Amino acid sequence: MPALFFNVIKLLFLALLFLFLFQVVRALRSHTGSNPGTRVSGAPAELIVLTGNANVDRVKLRPQGHVIGRSSDADIHIDDPYSSEFHARVGLQDSAVLVHDLGSTNGTYVNGRRVTTPTTVSKGDTVQIGKTILEVR
Amino acid sequence: MTRRAEAGLIIAASLLAATGVAMVEFTKGNWLDAQVTITFLTFLGAFGGLQIAVRRWAPGASSLLLPTAAFLTSLGFIEIYRLDPELAATQRWSLLITAGVGAAILWALSGPGVGVLRQYRYVILAIAVALLLLPLLPDSWPIHGATINGSRLWVRIDIPGTLRTPSFQPGELAKVLIVVFLASYLSENAEAMSVVNRKIGPFKFPEPRHLGPVMIAAASAFVVLIYQKDLGASLLLFGIFIGMLYIATGRSFYVVAGGATAIAAGFVAFRIFDHVQRRIEAWLDPFAHFQDAGYQTIQGLFAIGSGSLTGSGIGLGRPDLIPAAGTDFIFAAIAEEMGFAGSIAVLAGFALLVGAAFGIAIRSRDRFRKYLAGGLAIVVALQAFIILGGVLRVLPITGIALPFMSYGGSSLLANMVIIVLLLEISHEERV
Repeated sequence: MPALFFNVIKLLFLALLFLFLFQVVRALRSHTGSNPGTRVSGAPAELIVLTGNANVDRVKLRPQGHVIGRSSDADIHIDDPYSSEFHARVGLQDSAVLVHDLGSTNGTYVNGRRVTTPTTVSKGDTVQIGKTILEVR
Repeated sequence: MTRRAEAGLIIAASLLAATGVAMVEFTKGNWLDAQVTITFLTFLGAFGGLQIAVRRWAPGASSLLLPTAAFLTSLGFIEIYRLDPELAATQRWSLLITAGVGAAILWALSGPGVGVLRQYRYVILAIAVALLLLPLLPDSWPIHGATINGSRLWVRIDIPGTLRTPSFQPGELAKVLIVVFLASYLSENAEAMSVVNRKIGPFKFPEPRHLGPVMIAAASAFVVLIYQKDLGASLLLFGIFIGMLYIATGRSFYVVAGGATAIAAGFVAFRIFDHVQRRIEAWLDPFAHFQDAGYQTIQGLFAIGSGSLTGSGIGLGRPDLIPAAGTDFIFAAIAEEMGFAGSIAVLAGFALLVGAAFGIAIRSRDRFRKYLAGGLAIVVALQAFIILGGVLRVLPITGIALPFMSYGGSSLLANMVIIVLLLEISHEERV
């Protein structure tokens, strides 16, 4: 009888170990695509340049939007040979963020997937233009 | 993960440690013991305190690191307690002090940021080298080196008037400092080093003058090997150099050249050092050396084998038969008492920790932070690989501590500093 009791306790303890790891992994999974840091909550507010050279590091999203491109007339001017002069527009519409590709040569990618129609993005999503990567926060 | 979930997991890890201690006491016939509560409070105080420090001074930090570190520490602690409650009591103090130091580092870096380390790279290198050489101080000095188990890795402090002689392993902290130095050095010089276009025959080489660091790496690892007779530390140092060069340059040349140098150096060491030769022979055929060099490995293998799928149960195996079960061979002790299931949980814990660290490196925006986080990830991964490989007979056995799990304050401190630096980097990357 004690042997059985010890065995049950032993198995329960091992189950606890895996429950713990499962909780960590679940927390990790809910973040894939964004940072595994504290959870991003609230409405998206900013566009941040993660990699690449741009004239700004971050901009506050606004209803009229920002045009991103290689041209110096673009709102966010990026120095990227794979970008078109006016490549894409990112704007705020009823608290949702919309990404429009402006007929660019090399395309606009949201979370690694090419988008051709206006696409809604949310906090933590990345927008790639040429080699430049931006993140919505 | 939210901060609340993180706090929940830290409490859960503390409960795990307390449950393990309760199980050890239970197999001795005690229902409940004060040790259970003390253990719970120690873990809660150490990791909970660190989390409060994180909330205050690095609120954007990744919330994966602390719970995983707490998980690994608690599993190691259970086994240390099971082997020797007195060692466990010392380890509890180490944990509290270590957490205090970690919180202090977070506070100190909250103002200037981790980038401040970049400016003091040669000071940091000097401190690291001094720490590595500290165990060579002559025995007659009040602060002197000490040889334990054939390796001169320890520094002992004689306090006049008492018999207490606190000792520590300065090399543990030195490797963290070396990573900081390399991250700073490479963030400025990596571009030149990544040009690999000197052709000699079918092979391509970088400019000879950029090869300096590789040579320094080989030389320093070899010096540690010769003077301190420590295989594990030299392998680790060398691995850090090569791994960080690869991260910074992206050239496989450094990995190939580093691997070739390591094999050549290993062969030379095999030829001229008796202790290296004995270890390699005991690795290839431990049962032929059962009486001496292979004894520890074999006891470890017996322990792992008898553990089977779910283990003997905590407190019911005989991990005390393994030499150095609480330090180098703690994984064998865990495999015996928690079985294959427990061992996999440990490996998963390390995988999560290292993965999270590399994730931080990938997301960092400037080179220094990127290389620093990557280098710190390599340190944790390599340490775990070298000692787990030694215990499982994938590699020759080289005595180094398993991060967070082995008994020993110096190792715990060094690994906690690694976690704190990673927390700080992940925080800075978010603001």
